[in-house]
Amino acid sequence: MNKVKIKSKNLNVHYGQKQALFDVNLDLNEKEVTALIGPSGCGKSTFIRCINRMNDVIDICKVTGNIEIDGVEVNDENLDVVSLRERVGMVFQKPNPFPKSIYENISYGPKIHGKGDTKSELDEIVENSLKKSALWEEVKDRLDEPGTSLSGGQQQRLCIARAISVNPEVILMDEPCSALDPIATAKIEELIDDLKKTYTIVIVTHSMAQAVRVSQKTGFFHLGKLIEVGKTEKIFKNPDNKMTQDYITGRFG
Amino acid sequence: MSNEHTVKSYEEELQNLKDSLIKMGSLTESQMSDSMDAIIKVDKDSIDKIIKSDDEINKFRSVIDIQIMNLLVKRAPMAIDLRETISSLKISQDLERIGDLSKSNAKKIKPLPLDLPEELLSNLKRLGDLVIKQLNDVLDSYINKNFDKAKTVWEKDEQVDDLTNIAMQSVIDFLSKDKKNLDFSTHLIFATKNLERAGDHVTNIAETICYLIKGEYLKGSRPKGKQAQE
Repeated sequence: MNKVKIKSKNLNVHYGQKQALFDVNLDLNEKEVTALIGPSGCGKSTFIRCINRMNDVIDICKVTGNIEIDGVEVNDENLDVVSLRERVGMVFQKPNPFPKSIYENISYGPKIHGKGDTKSELDEIVENSLKKSALWEEVKDRLDEPGTSLSGGQQQRLCIARAISVNPEVILMDEPCSALDPIATAKIEELIDDLKKTYTIVIVTHSMAQAVRVSQKTGFFHLGKLIEVGKTEKIFKNPDNKMTQDYITGRFG
Repeated sequence: MSNEHTVKSYEEELQNLKDSLIKMGSLTESQMSDSMDAIIKVDKDSIDKIIKSDDEINKFRSVIDIQIMNLLVKRAPMAIDLRETISSLKISQDLERIGDLSKSNAKKIKPLPLDLPEELLSNLKRLGDLVIKQLNDVLDSYINKNFDKAKTVWEKDEQVDDLTNIAMQSVIDFLSKDKKNLDFSTHLIFATKNLERAGDHVTNIAETICYLIKGEYLKGSRPKGKQAQE
């Protein structure tokens, strides 16, 4: 088993009076895909948003407990959030390319993080990122066209390329395929398989089949609590917890 | 939180599969019992009926195959439902083989003389009764999801092996008394071996049920009788 990259200890999150996460203890392994499953509102997205401090932008959100990347506390006030988000990229449910060219969508991140000083350096980053996200062959002759002109699946791969462009260590994916057709989904899943050789990936998904296909570890959340976590194969063949079994077999609610 | 599926038709499909398997099991049990009775009584009139009942068992096997394929394609079952579906496939295969063995035994009745020695018949009957009891117990353990009962069946196959050995010896004794007995003794040897094989299929079913219930395979090797070790 790979070493632990991200470790949460007694992680609690409140949105105002409402508690969204309760004492979550979860280890995520390096260069592995961890899938988080559970019904809507169970806290899985809140959890991944703690990893790159996306919850900071919500005024009423309060995070307590610990979450560490390589042993360094993410919630440390003195931590540079910009460099944290350089290390932890994110892809969302709906593809959200910038209203700019395909090229600029990729080059924007490296530029603001002070990478790629020269045009040729940027060209290289753009090409490599698009190659890693399996989009290069489809867009290499139209880099000046707007990112929004691409199909939904291509836009999502563009967003993945954008996340990769700053050379992160972790990629968070929040239901990355829920707006895509089965072929575009298959391409993203193929990409995830490839990306896990380089990056630590956390994916939130409502598709059990997708969790089984792409992940090595699965965590099941319910009402803000991590109910069960284990090897994906074990969770879907023979989970220990009855709630997990009821959820994955469709006996919930 | 309820134990039923949110989708009612999924619940029904799984229940239908279980019902088919129970019916197939019950047919297999009756067929084996009839076939055993017919051998002991050397009742040649029952042969056709027993052979015919195998068709019914085979039909169930096809129905179960279709039910399983529909479940897999429509529901992509997970966890206990996945184990239930896959186990049904395996159990139905073992039941079908048991049916074939009972049919094969019925066919062996035709050349038998009506005056077989009492001791030979009683040894064969003891073996047959045990295998039928094992089949009955294993089907019970499936219906009631009783792990301990399934495991006991698995362990008791040792006794099937021992009784096979005894029954086989009495056929050999019978044969060695008079070489004229060679023809039907061969049939009796095959019939005895068939019962032992049926016992092995029952053991497979017991293993499958243990996996179905606990999600892990039984550890270690099953106790084996003297003859099976040789």
